[in-house]
Amino acid sequence: MTPELVLQQALNGISFGALLFVLAAGLSLIFGMMDVVNLAHGAFYMLGAYLALSVVRITGSFWLALLVVPLLLAAIGLVVEPLLLRRLRGRHLDQVLVTIGLSLVIVDFIRLRDDWGWGGEVRSLAVPPGLDHSIAIAGSDYPLYRLFVIGFGIVLALTLTVIHRRTRLGALIRAGVGDAEMLSALGVDTDRLFARTFAAGAALAGMAGVIAAPVFGLQPGMDVDALIFSLIVVVVGGLGSLGGAAAGSAVVGPANTFGTVLVPQFALALIFAIMALVLLFRPTGLLGRVRIGR
Amino acid sequence: MIEVRDLRRDFGGIKALAGVDLSVAPGERRAVIGPNGAGKTTFFNVLTGELAATAGTVSLGGADITALRPWQRARRGLARMYQRNELFDALPAWENVALAAGVRLGTYRALTGISRAERDAATGQLAQVGLDDRADTLARALSHGERRQLELALALAQAPAVLLLDEPTAGLSPAETERIATLIASLDRSLTLLIVEHDMDVVFRLADRITVLHEGRAIAEGTPEEIRGDTQVHDVYLGKALGG
Amino acid sequence: MSRGLLGWVAAVAAWIVIATFPQWSREWESSRYATGIIRDILVFAIFAGSLDLLVGRAGLPSLGHAAFFGGGAYAAAIVGQRLGTNELLIGLGAAALVAGLLALFIGLLAVRATGIFFLMLTLALAQMVYALAFQATDLTGGSNGFAGVRRPAFFGVDLGPAEALYLLVAVVFALMTLLLWRVTRSPYGRALAGLRENERRMRALGYDTRTLKLSVFVLAGAIAGIAGALSAYAFRFVSPNDVALGTSVTGLVMVLIGGAGTLLGPLLGAAAVLFIERVLSSSVGFSQTVLGIVFILFVVFARQGLAGLLRNVAAKVRS
Repeated sequence: MTPELVLQQALNGISFGALLFVLAAGLSLIFGMMDVVNLAHGAFYMLGAYLALSVVRITGSFWLALLVVPLLLAAIGLVVEPLLLRRLRGRHLDQVLVTIGLSLVIVDFIRLRDDWGWGGEVRSLAVPPGLDHSIAIAGSDYPLYRLFVIGFGIVLALTLTVIHRRTRLGALIRAGVGDAEMLSALGVDTDRLFARTFAAGAALAGMAGVIAAPVFGLQPGMDVDALIFSLIVVVVGGLGSLGGAAAGSAVVGPANTFGTVLVPQFALALIFAIMALVLLFRPTGLLGRVRIGR
Repeated sequence: MIEVRDLRRDFGGIKALAGVDLSVAPGERRAVIGPNGAGKTTFFNVLTGELAATAGTVSLGGADITALRPWQRARRGLARMYQRNELFDALPAWENVALAAGVRLGTYRALTGISRAERDAATGQLAQVGLDDRADTLARALSHGERRQLELALALAQAPAVLLLDEPTAGLSPAETERIATLIASLDRSLTLLIVEHDMDVVFRLADRITVLHEGRAIAEGTPEEIRGDTQVHDVYLGKALGG
Repeated sequence: MSRGLLGWVAAVAAWIVIATFPQWSREWESSRYATGIIRDILVFAIFAGSLDLLVGRAGLPSLGHAAFFGGGAYAAAIVGQRLGTNELLIGLGAAALVAGLLALFIGLLAVRATGIFFLMLTLALAQMVYALAFQATDLTGGSNGFAGVRRPAFFGVDLGPAEALYLLVAVVFALMTLLLWRVTRSPYGRALAGLRENERRMRALGYDTRTLKLSVFVLAGAIAGIAGALSAYAFRFVSPNDVALGTSVTGLVMVLIGGAGTLLGPLLGAAAVLFIERVLSSSVGFSQTVLGIVFILFVVFARQGLAGLLRNVAAKVRS
């Protein structure tokens, strides 16, 4: 393996990790606040990608899609949470079950919308002009878009960290992750907070969908892949914290990329082994606060 | 019967148990008292293994059980009556007890039915705590006092050698307290008891010896009379709880 | 006649009616079609029943159960091909064994987790099995699936014809239901209920809860494997879809709509779901949407499922 190849794969791994971070952050956020594992997370991701398809088709602008799609997903989240989850407060498993039902509906909806240019065929989204060329790095060419993904991930991580640490919303979220009941007792409108948290999680999933679409394309089953990866990331990194999502994606991203290149037959086994090791020796996940088991 | 040496348990910077030494003879009834935050619940949790000790040892019947998991300690004869009832709410009272007794009969009897004998034995256990007329009632439908009785019945059904009673009279009316206290007093002397209690009347009635915990350490130990007269204990409690 | 005996008689009578369906419906135009659907309902009822052992009885929410269903299906198909045998017992045995072993490996890891984390782990680990089914092309046929599963035979008696296969499925269904009934009413079954109700207390009582969970996980997996084998024989085909998340979700949906923790639930749930998926989807294209909405409605409004609703109705009628 030549040094150029190593560098390329390293960058691939990091950009995949950045993408995973955007994806997993939403899942972790929702769980941390509401104790709900949103199994519709992959469906939200998928919906985000397909919505981006339509926005780009209508307006021609990828950047507009990147702005609008998360907002659309947030709106959906704001509707879904009170409608489906609020009435099941305290019944965590049932809330998870409801998100399963939701994912069935969303994925089927996408499959049926041939008239919107969606449907069950494989589709693609072009890399936005301006980012669709390669630049020279250490002697070889590397796609600029993938560097953008890395940059985007970092910027998002920083933004979320600032919000998390410095704003009132962040304080509420930090408190809520610890004890939502306490928040309610202190007079915080937890219903509104939960709805907004869920919306934010959905928005992040949609954002990940938009960013990923030019790289991975759009096809049936992408929701499952996204869900599985985000689950693995949070198991490895730790559920319920941004740091956990970051740590997990930093490990899983490069591991999956290098694994696919070096040992394609065992790439999956590698990820599985990492997950198993983490579970055996650090059940909280690398940076997690919530014990997964005993 | 129970031997605790230099038991420590830290939570981050907090030393919940800061070196507890305790020795309980077989058949003895030892009460553990202390102001709130003294470490009594932590002590019990470490004894049962639900919390790991940071340092120190716990021995049961001469054998070191410090490294054993909770279920292994239970199999060695350690039973616990929880402060907050830990019952099987969706099951009737007799099945709650049958579960407790069923450990010794074998967990994996998957193809046998549940025999009449087992049910009768469970009802007998319930009779011991005065609940036999409520045998078929679901645990969640029992009154708080009855749930407390069932809680005790579960622990007794394990046929333990050592019984940890975690605030047995918690939340009970005076009549119910009297009932539980009499029940405990009537337990066979082959059973070693370790009781955490706030109700001093109950403590003085049941205990052979008392250990006083304060800030994670045993600051005094002796007969009820000795403890009553101990000025250090008085200071710790501000004299109120001991009726002094 | 006591209630218990009445229940027994009713159950046996119902089974006889179901088992002889192909015979007494022969005159109907859609007899073949209906026979196929009822056969699949029975197969999935076994699958859902095994999942209910985990979800409804032991309180272990698993989203990876298809790994054992499909694993059993592949095992039956592959063993038949590699050993060149049609013998039913070998196929079923291999299915139960392979599925049980898969459940053992996955379980060893998964039972270290509780509740929602257990669910996530079973999901992720089952996906590994799914990927394996794709990659082991020599063994499983990869994405093309395994076609040409051999017709089963029971000591020489060919069970390939539709009516014979149907009877086979009906018999295995009865046996598996009997097994599940026996297990749930045993001390072991009560221990499972204890696990579901209060795991902490079970540990304090002296139960090795981790091993207990593992044991029910393996048992449920093995039964799911048998259902998978029947599916392989019925369709003469196994595909990665049989190990996919979609199948796990379908199972969970069946358990819930039917009524978790009941004996009748899995059968009712399987019937409801297959009705929606097969019958409804031929007239309207969006069966998954309907399924999703129905599932949500049950979780929110009728958590006790169809079996629970029936029980409520029966109680009202009696009073």
